[in-house]
Amino acid sequence: MKLDANIADPDGFYEALIKAHEGLSADDSAALNARLVFLLANQIGDQAILEQCVAAARKPFARAR
Amino acid sequence: MLNKSSSSQGSGYPLPEYPFNLPPELSGGAKRRYAVVVVGGGLAGLAAACDLSVRGVDVVLLDEDNTIGVRGLASRGITYAQKSLEIFDRLGIYDRVKAKGVEWSHGKTLADRDVVYSFDLATNRVSKQPPFINIQQFYIEWFLVDRIYELGGADLRWNNKVIGVEQLKDCVRLQVETPAGNYAIEADWVLDASGVYSPIREAFKLDTHPARGQDRWCISDIRFKLDAPLERWTWVEAPFNENRAVWQLPMGDGVWRLDYQMDANADPDAVSTEAVVRSRLRQQLGEDREFELVWVGPYAYRTQMLDKMRHGRVFFLGDAAHVMSPFGGRGGNSGIQDAENLAWKLALVLNRNAPESLLDSYSAERHPAAVHNIKTTSRTTRFLSPESAAERILRNAVISLAREHAFARPLVNTGRMSTAFSYTDSPLTTHGGAAVQNVPLILADGKPGTLLDLFQGETRFLGLWFSGTGLTAKEAKTIAALQSAEPLLRVVVYSPAGSGTEQLADHGGKLRIALAVNGDCFCLIRPDLHLAAQLAKPTLAAIRTALRRVLAVTQRQ
Repeated sequence: MKLDANIADPDGFYEALIKAHEGLSADDSAALNARLVFLLANQIGDQAILEQCVAAARKPFARAR
Repeated sequence: MLNKSSSSQGSGYPLPEYPFNLPPELSGGAKRRYAVVVVGGGLAGLAAACDLSVRGVDVVLLDEDNTIGVRGLASRGITYAQKSLEIFDRLGIYDRVKAKGVEWSHGKTLADRDVVYSFDLATNRVSKQPPFINIQQFYIEWFLVDRIYELGGADLRWNNKVIGVEQLKDCVRLQVETPAGNYAIEADWVLDASGVYSPIREAFKLDTHPARGQDRWCISDIRFKLDAPLERWTWVEAPFNENRAVWQLPMGDGVWRLDYQMDANADPDAVSTEAVVRSRLRQQLGEDREFELVWVGPYAYRTQMLDKMRHGRVFFLGDAAHVMSPFGGRGGNSGIQDAENLAWKLALVLNRNAPESLLDSYSAERHPAAVHNIKTTSRTTRFLSPESAAERILRNAVISLAREHAFARPLVNTGRMSTAFSYTDSPLTTHGGAAVQNVPLILADGKPGTLLDLFQGETRFLGLWFSGTGLTAKEAKTIAALQSAEPLLRVVVYSPAGSGTEQLADHGGKLRIALAVNGDCFCLIRPDLHLAAQLAKPTLAAIRTALRRVLAVTQRQ
């Protein structure tokens, strides 16, 4: 799992992401994010890296249950 | 698996009824100890009794009623995978199964009218048997009973219900209730295949870690003419079932199995009344189509599993040991494989060809298989019945992507079809463990046959010696030494060059495909067609070591 900067155009990516959410309901935004997760996951493919990313995303909520 | 329920509608078939015969214990016969008593005449119990009969071991089978099937004519487990079909071939019922059932290999998952996932399980298949045959479970049980009677030797005791069990020092004593009174019977080994509610397992108070699913389904066995290909079709969200899942599978006698996912809060009996089922079918099929309800009933899922599939002198098979949701046909198929796994080991031990320690490998091999099956079916359940709003969002994202892009289709999970479990980590395995397909071959006498024929009906091991250039004098000597030292091993040479030892022709190299063999090597195959060892440099010592290992013989013995 890469944790140093790897996105070629950080501001550009962030802008593209928020623009994609513009005008969507909360439900549709959640659905968009879910679609995006699977699309990005397919670019990575490697199961070990995917699981490390899932764990890293979960980290702030680790105690929430 | 099915939960018991009193509700069922529909017109049926006539099922056979078997006679109650007064057991010798109640007719003044001499008291005797039996080697093997099988409890339960379902798939696993009958497969075990039939397999032991084929291997020359006489068994007593106790069944609580006098017919096959339960709940009347429910189709129950309808999908029989290649490994089970290969077992049926060995047991001598495959031709009847093939004649009555429906062969298929294609599966499709649909969203509305779009196919969002499809598979063809015939890819890479080299067996004589097809990937799947769908047929009502009671037909399999019926054919097994017929075959057991034909083989002779087994004592099938109908209307003999087990009501108590006791482990004694060197045997098991069962208390049995019959219409003519109760009696006790003692056996060296008891095979408990009495199903999800096993009275034996409960008498021993063995924990099964049960969990009930939220999911409710309605099974509908329908006879009608459907202009659909003979394939497994599934819908995750069917418009004709209030956007819940539907299964559609063909089986024998022109009957189709339609399973409808119900609302989690629905009253299971109410949604399975004939009127409700008819109206649901009208939505799917349109107003004009004629159909006949054969059997309708509700079911709910549960999972449970024993920590060990053996307790003293009692072995647990099938649903008595492990219960899973029905996706992929893993319940019935794994019960049949449980039976096969135990039968050859018991036959070797009872004939004093292997030590009793061989029987320890039953749970060591079949428990991991059950763990794998439960994990696989639980993942499907979770996909079809999301447990939270977030899970539903993820599931629906997969379906929407699968409509557009190939990459998302493997994420659609409406059941992963049953495949034979690989005993890679088994204590019996030197190198290998996978199931070897029942490859068609030209036998040494020039006649067509299959890999199974090379066992010649004996409970022994098969050594396949692959030699590209023909055997060297030293290799021929090794084989001669094996043949005289190891009566449980039959060595067959596969060599295009030929050399006077028993030869085998494998047109098209299917045997090499089935074993994933390229160069020269020796493959040790078990009586259940699993690969025990693959040796690149076979020596007399290495082969004998692998053989001792698969027989669970320790060095001291």
